[in-house]
Amino acid sequence: MNIPAKKIYRGLLLIGCFLASSVSANVAPAEPAAAAAASTAPAVVMVEETEARKSTSTADHSKFEELKKNFKNGPEVTKACLTCHTEAAQQVHSTKHWTWEFLNPATKQKLGKKNIINNFCTSVTSNQTFCSACHVGYGWSDDKFDFTSENNVDCVVCHDTTGKYKKLPGLSGHPNYEVMEWPPHSGKFREPTDLKTIAQKVGKTSRATCGACHFYGGGGDAVKHGDLDSSLKEPQKYLDVHMDAKGLDFSCGKCHLSDSHEVSGSRYAPTAVDDNGALMRGDKGDRNPTTCVACHGKAPHPPGTAAVEKLNSHTDKIACQTCHIPAYARGNKATKMTWDWSTAGKLDEEGHRIQKRGSDGNVIYDSKKGDFTFERYVIPEYVWFNGEVKFTLFGDKVDTNNVVKINEFQGSAGDPDSRIWPVKTFRGKQPYDVGNETLGVFHTAGGDDSAFWGNYDWDKAMAWGMKAMGVEYSGEMVFVETEMSWPITHMVAPKEDALKCDQCHRENGRLQNIGGVYMPGTNNTPMLDWLGYAAALMALIGVLIHGGIRYYMSKRG
Amino acid sequence: MKRIYIFKRFERFWHWSQAALIITMLVTGFEVHGSYDLLGFKTAVTTHTTAAWSLVWLWVFAIFWHFTTGEWKQYIPTTDKVAAMFRYYLTGIFTDAPHPFKQTRLSKHNPLQKLAYLFVLAVINPLIWITGWFYLFYNDWAAWGVDFLNLEYVAFFHVVAAFMMLIFVIAHIYLGTAGHTPTAHIKAMITGWEETED
Amino acid sequence: MKYIIGALAMLVLVAVIALTQAQNLMFNITPSPYGVEETAARIQENIQRMEGRGWALSGLRNPAAAVAASGSNVPPVLLVEACSTKYSGPLLKIENSRIYSILMPCTITVYKNDDGSTSIGTMNAGLMGWLFGISDIMDEVFADQQAFITFDPSRPAPPLIKGRPGGGGGDGKPEAGC
Repeated sequence: MNIPAKKIYRGLLLIGCFLASSVSANVAPAEPAAAAAASTAPAVVMVEETEARKSTSTADHSKFEELKKNFKNGPEVTKACLTCHTEAAQQVHSTKHWTWEFLNPATKQKLGKKNIINNFCTSVTSNQTFCSACHVGYGWSDDKFDFTSENNVDCVVCHDTTGKYKKLPGLSGHPNYEVMEWPPHSGKFREPTDLKTIAQKVGKTSRATCGACHFYGGGGDAVKHGDLDSSLKEPQKYLDVHMDAKGLDFSCGKCHLSDSHEVSGSRYAPTAVDDNGALMRGDKGDRNPTTCVACHGKAPHPPGTAAVEKLNSHTDKIACQTCHIPAYARGNKATKMTWDWSTAGKLDEEGHRIQKRGSDGNVIYDSKKGDFTFERYVIPEYVWFNGEVKFTLFGDKVDTNNVVKINEFQGSAGDPDSRIWPVKTFRGKQPYDVGNETLGVFHTAGGDDSAFWGNYDWDKAMAWGMKAMGVEYSGEMVFVETEMSWPITHMVAPKEDALKCDQCHRENGRLQNIGGVYMPGTNNTPMLDWLGYAAALMALIGVLIHGGIRYYMSKRG
Repeated sequence: MKRIYIFKRFERFWHWSQAALIITMLVTGFEVHGSYDLLGFKTAVTTHTTAAWSLVWLWVFAIFWHFTTGEWKQYIPTTDKVAAMFRYYLTGIFTDAPHPFKQTRLSKHNPLQKLAYLFVLAVINPLIWITGWFYLFYNDWAAWGVDFLNLEYVAFFHVVAAFMMLIFVIAHIYLGTAGHTPTAHIKAMITGWEETED
Repeated sequence: MKYIIGALAMLVLVAVIALTQAQNLMFNITPSPYGVEETAARIQENIQRMEGRGWALSGLRNPAAAVAASGSNVPPVLLVEACSTKYSGPLLKIENSRIYSILMPCTITVYKNDDGSTSIGTMNAGLMGWLFGISDIMDEVFADQQAFITFDPSRPAPPLIKGRPGGGGGDGKPEAGC
């Protein structure tokens, strides 16, 4: 038998071709479907909440005399609300939606938006007129705001059903009552807010009302969290099985059960683990109802095969989210991954502000803010987490030679109350006051001379910001690298899309950096393997030699 | 040449099903360990677990059989003729020298074989079974009060034992060809009848 | 007997090699330092800069969007399509080589890996040409393709060109580049 080498090679390639074509044949059917879907699928539809959802309330607010008037401003609407809902404002007063303060009972750290410095726009202090666009109140423009005022509670921002109510940055938490150009210098104008219609159509909170702020954290759609963005307003099933607009259609409140305006669930003191099983209605106690376990129980995978049992037993180490949210920012919005303030302030030759966009259309440089990077469909980072988060607050000493952890998730492999959680870790560079040895607070926006967005002068902006914090700016600032993390818990994928075993149980798998736990399949005893295979190979060679000699000797007779 | 009936039906069934299970567990076990990607991690784990339970049951029957038939005595070691066996494998086998051990129904394993099987029974098996059992019931460690154990070490010794088993299998298969003809022992293990020199 | 066994062993060996190597032979996978969108946009830009060789973009496909619409998640993937009349013309002119229109337009895939990195996949045009006896054309396609996926980091990220800039193709209008 003598086959020319070249022929074999060709034959081999033809087999290869055949295989390759069979592979592509398997993929091919998806193509026409893709084309069809692309051509027939409508653009993103913003469903008007009123028309889409029929109210099931026993009260038609448009029939209420108190609401049949032309309101001049938000507080007047609130005053009307309070004539019936007499206790509502006081209830809101005790929530962190109003106080922007949160005392962590475990660490005793004073948190909340009012106190923490993040690595996005960094700090609320000295920038209230802008930040308070997401405050459930009216008129918070500086530290003199009256937190006891009932009429300054904004009822409508959470209870609007029209989608027409918008609080704009710079108005200290008010919507526009007059015609206003928005976005600034865009040539587009917003009509005065129709408070009468909005007040008459109030209803339950919805993904749209919660999302009006929570989807836009960090200054834009999808920017901060990655697992919360406007694609969750009317999401398809692939994006979130629970919120699927054509399926279960959960509102935020379905999980974030609320009582007396206190909304459950927290990123300051999250529930990392709950071993108590499903939460029955009427259950007394202080368990957080906003967890997977609260509904799905301790053994969420229906019992059956050994493989399924193994999934259930994984819950002693792994949070549900780790497998069931294989990636975040899976909608059509990219989330911000880094923000470098140190490059802010570059202007073009004529001294004008520069804006550069990336290939996906997102702004990647802005003179006002510096450099950004964005990413869609992001693979999370993973950490051991027991529910305790420690923050680096204003005044806390930091080591500027290392990356400053603005918050740090506590927990470890050895701690029975820790689970492996997916997180978004946001990295950046931000101002640091060298003399005061603290993260810097600077004045970002405002019509005055000191706002960084007006004159691009760090020293002026810092001087103003630090003063608002009650500290004299030392005059010297540098940029420090910072890191801040958020647990990933929204955008739960359909079960078919959960992580497969070997996405972690393999070399360089998803959990390669988690540490502290032995994971089969990760090839983590290289020394033993080397010795073992060498010994086995030597045994094999030994018997082959032995056999060879036997064969040779027998042939020789 | 004389034919004697050495391996009884259950023994042969035990041998071959055990061989199949051990090879299956070696193949899947090293995949679970992370040495290669063949069946996929999930399939490897479930196959390994299923094979382990099958082997447990096979052993329950085998232990019962060995004690009721008295065949367990075949595994009592002896130092007699061990040196002669070594010498035979190192030189005699090449020159067709007479085998120093005479196989009979009452003594079917040669002295070296007895020692090797004793090593399997007394060292490899306990190591692989005990570590395997803890590995399998990893989630019950706390309930058993053994949560001072560390999976890393349990897995380590399980793999050590697996390598020893792999080496045993290689040697065992090769020595299976060391009869008076290369297939003589293998045929005996299939039919039960061994041809011996008289 | 020996020859038959030898031949069988050879066949098995060939089949095993083919099975394990088919993917490597037919396709080239190259890592990209950029994200999926930027990689695709830079490839598009490179293609547009090769206008002199008859190249033009004929479309950008997003198969992941279709999978999402059917209720499932797949990591981002974009198919950049381009065509050059310089190469398509000669192949389409001759009856025997008209079947190779099946390879048109030239597609480059850009996708995200499970570790977050980006890969570029190209068809091994050189091998195709050699296999089907159209080496003269396909070798040039291969060389051009390499130029498409060679990036100049000093250039800023170009915007991604969505849709089908060359028209529909199927709607009777001429497709750019082909």
